Amino acid sequence: MENLINWGPKDILLHHGPTKRLVNKYHYHSPDVGIVASYVPTERDVEDHFNIFRGVDQIESFAQASACSCTIYSECVKMNIGPPQLAEMFFPFFLSVGQVNFHDYIEKGDTFVNIGHIKFYKFRQMVCDGRIYKVTAGFDVDAWFKNYTDERLLAYDVSDDFKLVAELSDITGRSIKRSLTEKQFV
Amino acid sequence: MERQEIIAGLVEILGTVRTINKEKLADITEDTDLIKDLNTPSTEMINIVAKAEQKFDVEFDDDDIDELDAKVKSVVDLILKAKERN
Repeated sequence: MENLINWGPKDILLHHGPTKRLVNKYHYHSPDVGIVASYVPTERDVEDHFNIFRGVDQIESFAQASACSCTIYSECVKMNIGPPQLAEMFFPFFLSVGQVNFHDYIEKGDTFVNIGHIKFYKFRQMVCDGRIYKVTAGFDVDAWFKNYTDERLLAYDVSDDFKLVAELSDITGRSIKRSLTEKQFV
Repeated sequence: MERQEIIAGLVEILGTVRTINKEKLADITEDTDLIKDLNTPSTEMINIVAKAEQKFDVEFDDDDIDELDAKVKSVVDLILKAKERN
């Protein structure tokens, strides 16, 4: 399992509640450095909200794309198992938010990209910083990130087709044993 | 290593946590709950045990931390267990 690119977010995130999964595709993943993943808000996501994708959902999408996805990957590597086997033992949890600065908004049908940097990872807990950009209609996100590098990821190297939407820091996620969560929620 | 010595080391670590009221550190006992009594954010527990690894020159397993509660006694027990194991 080299990275998450060959896996879809549906293999990794929210098996129990797929309507809350706010990541469509992973475009770049460097296990010790960070990740790029995109999402396009649907009708359901903007219902009763003037076609605008809520800021809290932007944060949720970023957390799913970065800390949650990357901690699942790292646990799989440590335990030498695949995501389906890990999902039987662990849930990824989005635990906390540091600072978020919004610069723009996202509408239904916009493609936005989460670029996450891994800042800390220990004891199954991961902290990420990053940015959210929306791209112009018809922009080929896959092609742009196909030959991306860690250096470009860390520098947020993007073109004028990317418009900054939000900057996020200290987004924290953790893989928690199902047996422990079941004591809490079941 | 004595338990009291470990608690003193933990107090030094807790003194670096921004959200903890430093005045409360003087009253810490083994029964103190870091989250309930000191208002430590639960996500900060990982940073505290990571710092404890360095301070006490021990190594914890992920499984050790999964079920760790926030009592000072539990952290002291964990450090002693890791010292024995190492």
